[in-house]
Amino acid sequence: MGISDVIPLPVAVDKELEKWTIWGRPLTDVWFTTTEKIHEIIDMGPIKNVLNWGRKNSLWFLMQPMGCCGVEMLVFGCPHYDCDRFGIFPRATPRQVDVMIISGYITRKYLPAIKNLWEQIPEPKWVMAIGECAISGGPFYDSYNIVNDTSKFFPIDVFVPGCPPRPEKFIEGFRALQEKIKQREDKRGY
Amino acid sequence: MTTANDVLSALQSAFPGAIEEAKVDPERQLWATIKPDRIVDVCKYLRDNHNFDHYSGAAGVDRIDEGLFEVTELLASHGAHQVVALLKVKTPRDNPSVKSLTGLYWNANWYEREIWEMLGINFEGHPELYPLLLSDELMGAWPWRKDYKGYPDYNTAERAIEKVNPEGYTDYSFTPTEAEIKAGTVPFERPKYPTFREREEMEIKGESEMILHMGPQHAVVPGPFLLDILVDGERVKKAFLDVGYIHKGIEKIMENRTYTQGIPITDRLCYMAALTNNEAYCGAVERLLGIEAPERAQYIRMILEELSRIQSHFLGTAEFLTLIASAVYSPFLYMIIDREDVLSCIESVTGARINHSFVRFGGVRNDLPEGFKDMTLDTLKMIRQKTEEYKELFSSDSIYQKRMEGVGVLSPSDARRLGVSGPPLRASDTPFDMRREDPYLLYKDMDFEVITRKEGDSKARVEVRLDEILESCYIIEQCLDQIPSGPIMAEGVPKRIKPEPGEAYYRVEDHRGEMGFFVVSDGSEKPVKVKARGPVYAYFQALPPLLEGVYIADVVAIAGSMDACTSEVDR
Amino acid sequence: MVLSAITEFAAQEPKIYGLIIGLVAAAILASVINVVAMLLVWLERKVMGDFQARYGPNRVGGRWGVLQLGADAVKLFTKEDVIPRGADKPVFVWAPIVAVATTMLVAGALPFGAVIIDGKEIPLVVANMDISAFYIEAALSIMAISAFMAGWSSNNKYSMLGAFRGIARMIAYEVPMGICVISVAIMAHSLNVVEIVQAQSIWFVIAQPIGFVIFAIALITDLGRMPFDQTEAEEEIIAGYNTEYSGIRFGLLYFQEYIVMLLGSILLVHLYLGGWNGPVIPVISFISPMIWFFMKLIIVLVALIWVRVSLPRFRIDQVTDLGWKILLPLSMVNLAWAVVVGLYFA
Ligand code: SF4
Repeated sequence: MGISDVIPLPVAVDKELEKWTIWGRPLTDVWFTTTEKIHEIIDMGPIKNVLNWGRKNSLWFLMQPMGCCGVEMLVFGCPHYDCDRFGIFPRATPRQVDVMIISGYITRKYLPAIKNLWEQIPEPKWVMAIGECAISGGPFYDSYNIVNDTSKFFPIDVFVPGCPPRPEKFIEGFRALQEKIKQREDKRGY
Repeated sequence: MTTANDVLSALQSAFPGAIEEAKVDPERQLWATIKPDRIVDVCKYLRDNHNFDHYSGAAGVDRIDEGLFEVTELLASHGAHQVVALLKVKTPRDNPSVKSLTGLYWNANWYEREIWEMLGINFEGHPELYPLLLSDELMGAWPWRKDYKGYPDYNTAERAIEKVNPEGYTDYSFTPTEAEIKAGTVPFERPKYPTFREREEMEIKGESEMILHMGPQHAVVPGPFLLDILVDGERVKKAFLDVGYIHKGIEKIMENRTYTQGIPITDRLCYMAALTNNEAYCGAVERLLGIEAPERAQYIRMILEELSRIQSHFLGTAEFLTLIASAVYSPFLYMIIDREDVLSCIESVTGARINHSFVRFGGVRNDLPEGFKDMTLDTLKMIRQKTEEYKELFSSDSIYQKRMEGVGVLSPSDARRLGVSGPPLRASDTPFDMRREDPYLLYKDMDFEVITRKEGDSKARVEVRLDEILESCYIIEQCLDQIPSGPIMAEGVPKRIKPEPGEAYYRVEDHRGEMGFFVVSDGSEKPVKVKARGPVYAYFQALPPLLEGVYIADVVAIAGSMDACTSEVDR
Repeated sequence: MVLSAITEFAAQEPKIYGLIIGLVAAAILASVINVVAMLLVWLERKVMGDFQARYGPNRVGGRWGVLQLGADAVKLFTKEDVIPRGADKPVFVWAPIVAVATTMLVAGALPFGAVIIDGKEIPLVVANMDISAFYIEAALSIMAISAFMAGWSSNNKYSMLGAFRGIARMIAYEVPMGICVISVAIMAHSLNVVEIVQAQSIWFVIAQPIGFVIFAIALITDLGRMPFDQTEAEEEIIAGYNTEYSGIRFGLLYFQEYIVMLLGSILLVHLYLGGWNGPVIPVISFISPMIWFFMKLIIVLVALIWVRVSLPRFRIDQVTDLGWKILLPLSMVNLAWAVVVGLYFA
């Protein structure tokens, strides 16, 4: 379909326009577009880089301390470690965050709640598993109440091992996540 | 002064025939096996005539070889004497049932509920036998019984069935597999009881009332728990507490580990008090083994535990400040900075920031590094100065005073009845401190004051904490002065720990109150039962009655001033 | 040539010309205000960092982290926009828009300093109204309504509590604040902010110290900042009225808070601190009022941030108590004082 089908244009102009491209795609493709196509185009172009730059530099995380690692999470936001330097800071409501940190053991009783929290977070969102417990069950791997493979339930982008990992490790984890977002290699494809 | 022998002889004369066997070991602990039908009478007698007004917990033990369950009730006194009575009741494994003590002690409620849900021992006369820590689907499986084979389950995740509920959120159920049904390890018939939601909804009386869910994810404390408050406008009418969101089954896990492997697990019991938890557990096992740590090791333990108390009090106060102010309130951040300095002192010895695993049976893992003394003294000087500053700041801040004065008042008698210990109890004018009461390590040689306050409100609780920081500084300075040189491990501690069959109870002063470990051994490498009696468990139980009639803003102030730690409640 | 064409057009079609000029001015105003508000967020994070022994943003956009807010804005504006099930959709959607629109109403009547051209002081104001002080005061209180819309429509208990708290607080504090404005007007013999500024040969903070304190407290309450942030007390009711907001709508509410903070501080400077008054600086006399104005503004803003990081939060009943039982009588005293002094000097 040419542009002249929609807008009355001289055929010569139409022919000329068909040769034009935007980021390697014919202009006519872009002209008759749908939401998906817009997304596709954004994905290819430098706009996406700008968006991802914004996202990676403004990772707000959900304040949700769960275990011993939760204490280190608290310290991570305070002086000496100061996550605000990287544009990372905690919020209390899931509606306004980008990153969920699983900072400890997930039990059978807590799993539905934490999944709800995850579902309440608006896209784009990422999840990090911090501490051995969140990765594999840690010291409680043989407990009757612990879900020991968190990655079955959440698309975890970054695993930070340690029991507990030091606050510096938290920063390292966030840097890794930022790098992943920049390279567009995160699990959910942003 | 009442001694354990006095109590025993009084009991024997008052209840001839009700006491099956009894011993005093060590001098302040009275062990007795009571006939099941007389337990309530015996406890009543002890409470009324011998000042046993402190119910500090109960432990259920599965003696599978004898076909018995044992329930051990731990009774003590709030300072009238130092005897701990450990009264055992036996009940057959099929259809087990014990008389409930809830009529005598208000705080027996949760301890008995826990034993019921974990072991399936029925408590006659208990008013609300509902699950406490376990989720509904595990009810009836009785996971702490020795013949419970459903788990360890290495792939809980694989069995989870996802279902989207009508509200659009995902529900999970963990249905049993065929094999498990055949093995009979999963419950078919669950006990009948109204669920938590049903119980709280029954309380809604009027149009203007609603239930506000604070949790499981909420900014109130570190760690998930569900605090539901029934509010009418801004007033709280009733509070309901649901815990167990991070129940890990530590006590069961420790039964499956050797004694030494248990030490790292005790760290994770309450991450703010890892060193004192280590101490309590190691102390109990040392009692079983009959060894004692050399003097230098005891000093090292004391120094580290007091340092750890300082950092815990700093963090507790800091968290409390975020609750009445906000996360941008500067003193909160300054306290975290101070805490980092204390942590670096601890770290220079143990190598870890939070979970140390440092104490060993009969000693400590390693010696103090070079330069530790100077570094610590410098830090303490700084901490002193800062703490004085904080005290001055809080006493001159009129908004702070307005928010805290008269909020969440616990009268001395209430505080004892509710079973709280540690700073909240001392803030209610009760000088009850294990370091004085039941001196462990070398605290009897130390010169320190037990801090108390008269008011019993949230402000007093915080003040007690700040003053205790100063007191701890003083203790550490004394220790650093007096510490002798010598070995740090006792002679002849075996590589493989195999205590003689027996039981031991050892209690220490945690940063938050009385922490006790009850360890039962049968002569093998693994303990039969480890029971941790934690202070925060008691705080949590006391929280709902404290919250009735306050404002919503006070809920966080009261909960915060308790300095809670969910991990230790759930275990 | 272009100029003459424009003047010709203005003479022929004064209405259309006025409309066009108005729209252009509004566009400039809106964009300037938004950029300044973003800078203010950045300033707050930096200054707060300084108060708390940390750095604040310092990675995005050089070592000062100036682009941090750009990143935040890009992220917030491209995030998924969730409208919760059970929300009152039209109200939910309109609340942030109302919030931002009211700030623009305020901005229209507020002078942003002045310049001196040919020895004449020309205030930079879009609409120089006779009653601008009162109009601004009225427009500021519409904000509480937008907060109530947001809280009530979200179908969330926390939001609703936050909204109720907001209304209770607004009623308690608008009255003393209004009385303070009246006292200022009596002393200045005018309700026009520009004239109020020009009337301050002595700053009104000296003439009416009580009024200044009351107005400052009421202003902080209006802004909902510590120690009066009960509407969004994170530790009690999650995030108050904006608990359910996400993405661009939350972004609007978030920036709106800072725009209001900026406008409120400007109002404070005008009413009590002598606006752009100050000795003329010789070489750059053209913008010397602007320099004075910005210096005062920055001091007020930093003071607001200082208060935020160093005070705990009041309980809601204590807030209303303070408003009704202390500030209201005091503002009456202040009014009486203003009348006496005003009449005496007149
Ligand atoms: S990983 Fe270790 S420190 Fe972290 S929550 Fe688990 S046990 Fe605690």
